[in-house]
Amino acid sequence: MKRRLLTCLTAAGLLLAACGQATSAPSGGAPKQGQTLTVAIGIDPDTLDPMRQTTTTVQNIVQMVVQTLVQVNQQGKIEPLLATKWEQSADGLTWTFTLRQGVKFTDGEAFDAQAVQTNMSRVLDPSNTCPLCGIMPKAVKSVEPVDANHVRFTLSEPLASDLFLGLLSEVTFGFLAPQTIQKGTPGYQDQEQPVGTGPYVYSERVKGDHVTLTRNDHYWGKEPAYKQQVFKVVPEAASRETLVRSGQAQVILSPPAADIPALQHESDLKVLLAPDDRTIFIALNTTDKQQPLLQKPEVRQALNYAVDKNAIIKSTLFGAADPMTGPMAPSLFGYCQQPAYQYDPNKAKQMLQQAGAAGMTLKLISPTGRYTQDFQAAQDIANNLRAVGVNVQGPQTMDWPTYLATINVPPANATVDAHLLGWAPGYLDASQQMTIFDGSQIPKKGLNTSYYDNPQVNALLQKAATETNRQARAQEYCQAEKMVWNDAPWIFLWVQRFPIVYSAKVKGVSYVPNESFNTVYAQPA
Amino acid sequence: MLTYVVRRLLVAIPTLWGVATGVFIMARLLPGDPARVIAGVLATPEQVEHIRHQLGLDQPLYVQYLDFIGRLLRLDLGVSAHFGSPVAAEIASRIPYTVALAVTAIAIAVILGVSAGIGAAIRRNTPLDLVISALSVFGISMPVYWLGLMLIVLFAIQVHWLPAAGADSPTSIILPAFTLAVFSVGLIARITRGSMLEVLNQDYIRTARAKGAPFRRVVLKHALRNALLPIITTIGLQFGSLLGGAVLTESVFSWPGVGRLLLDSIFFRDYPMVQGLVLLFAVTYIAINLLTDLLYAYVDPRIRYD
Repeated sequence: MKRRLLTCLTAAGLLLAACGQATSAPSGGAPKQGQTLTVAIGIDPDTLDPMRQTTTTVQNIVQMVVQTLVQVNQQGKIEPLLATKWEQSADGLTWTFTLRQGVKFTDGEAFDAQAVQTNMSRVLDPSNTCPLCGIMPKAVKSVEPVDANHVRFTLSEPLASDLFLGLLSEVTFGFLAPQTIQKGTPGYQDQEQPVGTGPYVYSERVKGDHVTLTRNDHYWGKEPAYKQQVFKVVPEAASRETLVRSGQAQVILSPPAADIPALQHESDLKVLLAPDDRTIFIALNTTDKQQPLLQKPEVRQALNYAVDKNAIIKSTLFGAADPMTGPMAPSLFGYCQQPAYQYDPNKAKQMLQQAGAAGMTLKLISPTGRYTQDFQAAQDIANNLRAVGVNVQGPQTMDWPTYLATINVPPANATVDAHLLGWAPGYLDASQQMTIFDGSQIPKKGLNTSYYDNPQVNALLQKAATETNRQARAQEYCQAEKMVWNDAPWIFLWVQRFPIVYSAKVKGVSYVPNESFNTVYAQPA
Repeated sequence: MLTYVVRRLLVAIPTLWGVATGVFIMARLLPGDPARVIAGVLATPEQVEHIRHQLGLDQPLYVQYLDFIGRLLRLDLGVSAHFGSPVAAEIASRIPYTVALAVTAIAIAVILGVSAGIGAAIRRNTPLDLVISALSVFGISMPVYWLGLMLIVLFAIQVHWLPAAGADSPTSIILPAFTLAVFSVGLIARITRGSMLEVLNQDYIRTARAKGAPFRRVVLKHALRNALLPIITTIGLQFGSLLGGAVLTESVFSWPGVGRLLLDSIFFRDYPMVQGLVLLFAVTYIAINLLTDLLYAYVDPRIRYD
């Protein structure tokens, strides 16, 4: 028996050795300095198709492979990428883009006007899945080549240039090699191995583990330093931290917030708290039937005065945010600063008393782990509100799909009075932020979950969407923002920062202020 | 023997049907809209509707159910809502990782657990027994999440001997396998000790000793073999649950196994993937239980399946 047991164990050992062999990715020897940059990310990409993706992490990876006509730079401004210049007709209905010459897809196909048309017709095809297409399919009537290097977009109604170019800067409207997305082939609906014109080429993916990109040695622009970049899927924040501490990864996104101060003290690590455009807020039910007091703007203002934003940012978010100074992040076009709701519990108490809201009850919910220290912050906020006499029930928490199903309901089905939420526009224009205050976007139509509906604001937003004069447009948004700020459909909290930790052996790790990291031009320090 | 196996396999069919129906209903009882989760918060209602239609979630529930069972009969698990690729292919790509981890962990657990249990039993009420018993309680009650992180800090950050996470080098498996084994080591050691003690008090052990059989032989041949049934049961159950994926260990070590896939799929409300995985776990359990029962007959000649 003993011998049999031993044989059995040996067999198991061999089997396991075999399995170990089979599962290990090809590593091909120890990487040299500057060979491979490993970036630990928090999510496993659902798709690498620019048309189908919905998350910023996926966008960041795909953007290294697939490029757009224009891009957003670090200052949040639109700049040329695959288009070198563009012209808008006087009526605002046609846009002509001049394409960069000599650009080739990595399969050898030329990037030209025909390629732009092929891609746009795929993305705008209503039978395709394009969650981030937004208003584009309705707004664009046709895309036609003028000649090989010029392409004309014809719109069905004039669109503000910041809005239109902002949309075109999203990787959703990035360009894949035409041969890989021919109509009638599977790639037309879903292309999981994107072939683009970018500085890196998709080379391998092991789901749940990593995505590998290799350098495009024929790139039309500046050549990157690393031969290979590996994006490693590490869902646990604490594990990501161990990866950068052990040197197994050089760059990680979003470490545990509580460890940020300690990481800042490490001499061999660098912490970048990158500006972000994600606003975090408590949406108040402005048409609340269970708690009608919330229908009064002065009650909602009082709640804004009751929350000590600065203290919570400092002690609970470990500095990874800035207080909101308007209903949107300052990096957005159309932002204008509003007078702060300075923390003043006495004033809040007084205002509540005057409004007959002393001792009001408020049911609060918050997600957990969706945003930086979200549930912990909600607990602090609940305590702040209790201190001014609000009877807070909660915060309660639940998993994300349940949470979304709880808040994304028409006003008649609302079950909570207040919920914590984050909102990050994909491109840095006021339009996508302000839709959340638009009366026409009340669920199920959109995600205006405070049910805020101010006809004046609605009119301004509608006007601004098609306004072609930039200055007038900024004015319209500014006016709308002022009204929203005063009406306080939210407890305005903070603009999150996007923490990136990287090894001191690497330099050139960069960001774009829309929750994007940028490692294209990272290099050994 | 063969008829027994065939009978057991036939009994498995209604079990699997029950599991399939149960998981189908339970997935849909979860609040939340899969189409909205896939589309993200920025998508328009038309786009959400488009995705819902593509997933077939706009069909009446009984149509979805019949479709699911119909596919199942053709061994088709459907298409993942999250990944957009066949469920079977996704699961198949994760299985080698889970199997490698489970086999390594169970091997560690069996070697350490059985030896420790035997040691504790034959040195009953000595300091050795006390130490082993204390350590097994420690192993059973240790939270794997914490243990995993501590091992990473020690072996990956302090001394740089092993990778902290991932599955990209042959040594990657060591820390997660050991972390995962710790609970089973404790459990198997305790069961082995208890079972051995029962046997060691039997008359035939005294007889064997009186005959002058060497102590080693008595322990391993006479005692262990007779004490083996509960141990095998425990190992079988442990192995089954390890094959079901170790969600926490896989998360801490970023190990791309089926446990994490199930957890992610629940959070994404990926109904086809959740259904596929739960069915896979049911099949695994049924198979392991059958194997355990067959192993009984092999270990204990008194047991016959006719």
